[in-house]
Amino acid sequence: MNHPANNVISTIFESSSARSALEFPKHARQLPAEPVTRIQPPRFWERIDFADLWAQREVLYFLMWRDLKVRYKQTILGALWVVLQPVLITAIFTIFLGKLMRVPSDGIPYPVFAYASLLLWTFVSNAILSSSYSLVANAQIITRVYFSRLLIPAATIGVRIVDLVIASFVLIALMLYYHVPLSWSMLMFPVFVVQIAALTFALGVLGASLNVRYRDVGTILPILLQAWMFLSPVVYSSSILPQRSRFLYSLNPLAGIIDGFRASLFDLPFQWLSIIIAAVVTLPLLILSILIFRRMESTFADEV
Amino acid sequence: MRPIIKVEKLGKRYYLGPRETVPPTLREAIKNSFGTKVKLISRRNGDRHPSVWALKDVSFEIRPGEVVGIIGSNGAGKSTLLRILARITRPTEGKADLFGHAGSLLGVGTGFHPDLTGRENIYLNGAILGMNRSEITRKFDEIVAFAQVEKFLDTPAKRYSSGMYLRLGFAIAAHLEPDILLLDEVLTIADASFQKKCLERVKIASEGGMTILFVSHNLSSVRQVCCRVFHFDSGGIQGEGKPEAVITNYLKQVSAEPTY
Repeated sequence: MNHPANNVISTIFESSSARSALEFPKHARQLPAEPVTRIQPPRFWERIDFADLWAQREVLYFLMWRDLKVRYKQTILGALWVVLQPVLITAIFTIFLGKLMRVPSDGIPYPVFAYASLLLWTFVSNAILSSSYSLVANAQIITRVYFSRLLIPAATIGVRIVDLVIASFVLIALMLYYHVPLSWSMLMFPVFVVQIAALTFALGVLGASLNVRYRDVGTILPILLQAWMFLSPVVYSSSILPQRSRFLYSLNPLAGIIDGFRASLFDLPFQWLSIIIAAVVTLPLLILSILIFRRMESTFADEV
Repeated sequence: MRPIIKVEKLGKRYYLGPRETVPPTLREAIKNSFGTKVKLISRRNGDRHPSVWALKDVSFEIRPGEVVGIIGSNGAGKSTLLRILARITRPTEGKADLFGHAGSLLGVGTGFHPDLTGRENIYLNGAILGMNRSEITRKFDEIVAFAQVEKFLDTPAKRYSSGMYLRLGFAIAAHLEPDILLLDEVLTIADASFQKKCLERVKIASEGGMTILFVSHNLSSVRQVCCRVFHFDSGGIQGEGKPEAVITNYLKQVSAEPTY
């Protein structure tokens, strides 16, 4: 081989002292004994490479940053929408359910009762929807560059967590306005936030991987979410249910989480059974969703 | 010297069945199948869908610092090979070992967002291509100068001309420092002077020891930068060797094909 590039290479490998003057110094090092990347046909169950995910955390950051930057461009109210969305929904339910139909709210003023749960629900609903569409929306990236695909739905859910944090300031304001007293049970609320994030992540990731192959998912999802909202104690208190249907009702993990969240804020008695059921359902669901995602990941670029 | 890329019996099958959506490389393949080379294989044992091997039984080794060109007609499997090595899609069979970090440029401006400014897109695209934030900040001025977009840094990318878009996209990728760079036919839309600049960049990188795989239909640029060339045809390697010889052979074969 007498191509100039080869001559340069051989000099490089023979005398490493000349290397420092060149522009790409890191290539002088010896090749690793083990391959950095081994490319093989997909296996049935792929393992989850946490080290790889951690190494790519900046991609997660920039995907979230992009979505936050872009989302409210060309809107007049901008980031105010993050707060306005749950506020307006709460206003609607306060008028129709709270005032007109007098739905019981465990003795708590209906607006703050409903805002607390609608805050969580808006997060669940928005996060699952945007996560489910995320892979299809990022098809251009998926077909052209590799990084762990799990970061894409994770980023959309991360964005909704940011929303959740911002919108909770209104909850604090409402609680102050309605003189909700401080209590020890408030220390429990982070538990429910973590739980709802895990549940949402599980369903969002599942929706994302299914929607790549079956676009029906994206179409049916808004309807399913609507039904789920009314099956969960979002705009009413689960205390209106007759005792005999309690157990069946609490099989819905969201019921336990939302009840628990409100119980912690307003110092109501905790429904331990439904809280435990929620945890028992969420964890396997989370693991299963990630495994399904990993299993389908290898074909995303071919199918999206 | 040990190879930096080792490919063994690599194969990729796409199904033509109704359930699978058609990937872009396959579309290419189907377009070509009228009158030419795509082998349709229907197997008895449970494979009811007709399928096509976009890549079949491909083995080769590449040493560190080599610039290898890949030429061949549409649907020959060039892009499929690059997509597998870039980990976009997985092979159906075989194995490829990379003894270095790979970076790929399979399309220019991947992940550019039209509503973000040039500055913002440099960070976004850089991160997606595998640079970290401090690395992008360090190379920022160089990237901007290479792309010649100084005046438009705070303009949303949707107002960029297609030339500016391309230059910025390539400038970012040109400042990646992977051990292995995979380039797929990205320069064909650039003007002559920018193409020249990019080829020079490729040369400098390879002199620094970067290994480059370069798919192109532009035979003169292949001749200029590559030290070895693979000629792909029907999903396999048809010829391999010094650029001059392989290109001559390829052109001979093309002119021998019947035209309709």
